[in-house]
Amino acid sequence: MKRSGLLLLLAFVMLAVQCSCRGKTSSAQTDPTITAYDVERDWTNPDRLIPLNFEQSQGKRVFYEKCVWCHAEATPAGPSNRSNVSPTPSLINDGSILNPLSDEFLRNIITLGGSAMGKSAMMPPWGRTLSQEEIRAVIAYTRAVAQPPYHPPARPASQYSVKQTSKEEGSTK
Amino acid sequence: MNYEEMGKPSKGLRLAFAITSVLFLVVLAISPLKDLLQQWKRYKKEFVHFAQTRPDTKRLLADFHSGIDQIWIPNLNVVDRCSTCHLGITQPSLLDSSVPEPFRGHPTIPHRAKEWGCVVCHRGQGLATEVKEAHQTTLAWEQPLLPVGYIQASCGVCHRSEIPDTPKLNRGRELLEDLNCVGCHRLQGIERPAMIGPDLTEVGNKVSREWVYKWLKEPRTITDSNGNVVVNGYENEEEPRMPQFRLNEQELRALSGYLSSLKSKPLEPYKFDARVIAAWEKKADLAQQGEVRFRQMFCVTCHSLAVTRAGETKLIGGDIGPELSKVGSKVNGDWLIAWLRNPGEYLPHALMPQYQWTDEDLFKVTRYIQSNLTDPDLLSNLPSLGPPRPDEIQLGQRLFLEKGCASCHAIKGVKSPSDFGPDLSQLGSKTVSQLLFGEARIPHTLVAYIRAKIADPVSVNPAARMPQYHLKPEDLEALTAALLSMTGQPATAAYAQLVVPAPQARFRPAGKFGEVYERYKCYVCHRFNGFGGTLAPDLSFEGSRAQRPWLIAFLRNPQTLRPALTSRMPQFGMTEEEAAILADYLGMVTQSPSVNPDSVSPKEFTPEMANLGKQLYEVKYQCQSCHTIGATGGYVGPNLNNVGNWMNAAWITAWLKNPQALVPDTIEPRRDFTDEEIKSLTAYLTTLRQNPHIPAPRGTVGTPGGSR
Repeated sequence: MKRSGLLLLLAFVMLAVQCSCRGKTSSAQTDPTITAYDVERDWTNPDRLIPLNFEQSQGKRVFYEKCVWCHAEATPAGPSNRSNVSPTPSLINDGSILNPLSDEFLRNIITLGGSAMGKSAMMPPWGRTLSQEEIRAVIAYTRAVAQPPYHPPARPASQYSVKQTSKEEGSTK
Repeated sequence: MNYEEMGKPSKGLRLAFAITSVLFLVVLAISPLKDLLQQWKRYKKEFVHFAQTRPDTKRLLADFHSGIDQIWIPNLNVVDRCSTCHLGITQPSLLDSSVPEPFRGHPTIPHRAKEWGCVVCHRGQGLATEVKEAHQTTLAWEQPLLPVGYIQASCGVCHRSEIPDTPKLNRGRELLEDLNCVGCHRLQGIERPAMIGPDLTEVGNKVSREWVYKWLKEPRTITDSNGNVVVNGYENEEEPRMPQFRLNEQELRALSGYLSSLKSKPLEPYKFDARVIAAWEKKADLAQQGEVRFRQMFCVTCHSLAVTRAGETKLIGGDIGPELSKVGSKVNGDWLIAWLRNPGEYLPHALMPQYQWTDEDLFKVTRYIQSNLTDPDLLSNLPSLGPPRPDEIQLGQRLFLEKGCASCHAIKGVKSPSDFGPDLSQLGSKTVSQLLFGEARIPHTLVAYIRAKIADPVSVNPAARMPQYHLKPEDLEALTAALLSMTGQPATAAYAQLVVPAPQARFRPAGKFGEVYERYKCYVCHRFNGFGGTLAPDLSFEGSRAQRPWLIAFLRNPQTLRPALTSRMPQFGMTEEEAAILADYLGMVTQSPSVNPDSVSPKEFTPEMANLGKQLYEVKYQCQSCHTIGATGGYVGPNLNNVGNWMNAAWITAWLKNPQALVPDTIEPRRDFTDEEIKSLTAYLTTLRQNPHIPAPRGTVGTPGGSR
């Protein structure tokens, strides 16, 4: 009886091993050109590619159509208009200026323009040109390319999920 | 041995029986155990635990049930069980990247998973309930998950016309067209264009045998000081359209011999008056003058030149025509003059406009090209070739067909082969067992196969005829995505209704306008009702926008309107009559339905209104952030110094109301102006005029807007 019990145990162990082996998928690929919907080159480090999801990619498109002229050092057409505008607009990846601003503030200043938010009237309102989705996408893109990187403000929900992450990962893999 | 003893099984037998019964029980137990331990059940349980740690537990568990979840969309042939494990994909509160997979929410996309399923975009096996079978290729299931980097290929399965949401796919499709992949392969949704390479019927008049030899060997011409190829011979930072063929010495000799022998009619040199030339040549700076003219004409709008700054060679200029840094050492001087005078005579489908040259300008520019745009070392390091032998010509003629040259280049009398390469219109739906990987050491997946094939065709099939393209990594990915979208006919009838066909626009007007339009190739840069290039402004509604006298003056001598753009309208040397034909046609035909010329009468405008408009422009709306008036202002919008002569008041009014209604992709934002403000701004802008003495065309004198 002892032996058969041992056999049974062995069978269970093998089964368990087999199951846990199947759970593992192939090693994660890290090249963002293959793993992300779209990429953007980090302006401060040309070797680094920033992965973008669908929404951020749409923001990138809108940015390069409408915003790049004043919020970048170089534009698709060549020279930037940034130096002609005063006060000088901030670069879209300038996290030191844009990170402290809330999504809501950015949404308002893009929608209503600078003068409505007590800033320069040189920033025009885009609320009648861009859709709400497009404005959200531009903000998502801004957050993705920010240098220093942007961290969303902590809320109770995300605090909790951060605490849980390590445990969950340990149990699924 | 008695009966009793016979009935009693021996000890060994009993033990064997015991073991086999236990084994039998174990085997019997495996099936229910396996079912009990299925991966998806574990994920289900984990999700319940996980949901209880979230603040919105109730909502997360509202749709939860313990069985297999399935999205079934019979119309699309979709049976997806992915949401069995990916339990959070429809939960917006689980979008955070800290949420562990497989429970993370799906990022925002234009389609909802409930309506489309998952496999339509991600591929993989929707029916499978095991991780490996659902995501990867196994023996029984052949369709692996598409890496997210290529997911845009799935958009292209239905969206055959271009949509703005898919940058990688759009780039890939552009490359498929630009590189003329349809020259050899059949591809869905891409029409075969006119022959993409130059017609070679008379190429022997244009270039020497040595140059052909060098070009075939390495179709890139620009090297840095160390001899490394830094930029190629065609486009700025991009691949020359001519790929590199794998040719041996004998083949190079044969092809160069054959091509250089192609001159059916001898080139007749254009005769300048010898005495005039002698007078011109007394000027020492002839080439410099030619350079000035070359720059004035804005040849660099379409052609690029290599510029070396601080040891780094860069191409500056446009990419519509070939790069010209060494063209003086490439082409025959007599051919160059004939080409510049009338490109259409040598190459009927040339994109190069026919400039109206004076003999002096033509001579100077040719001199500049031949003395400055040269490279004395271009044809050094070549074996001595001499005139081609008849056997070389014969072999070259055969190779021209065998190597697929005739797919891109026409030679009169040589038939171009159809379907020279394999049909690729269903490549994207091929399963791994349908692909031949040969000796290639790559993962056995469709994506890896396509990438390897494009990156190095012989790595997969040593006998491949496909030439070598040197693509940038991102272009390689884009091409792969575009090829993955080629899945042939839609899988079900429901798909067929969803497929959006690519639009086919044509604008080839006839008559006098058509002739001038064709001579100056307006459509290479400008767009008319969806047909034409995108380099320059869309002219679909130019008749509503511009005043006739301004248009004529501009066509004859284009000024800079948009200071931020580096490419400018060339100076064609148009005659007054031609400019008038263009202006009349544009004024009559290219009218926008949103602009009513009679809605605004400039006579109503008073100086007070103009003053108010100036205040609005400068203070309230600060338009100078993008527009220049005088010497100050921004580069983004056009220069407004002459807008009173340039634009119709009705256009300005309509534009201020809603710019996107007139030019959908314009940068200018739509503002909240009141009607009063629009009137004042229009009044101000119409007062902005420069050099009022615009030369009126002979015969038909039009007052602004009067001819329409």
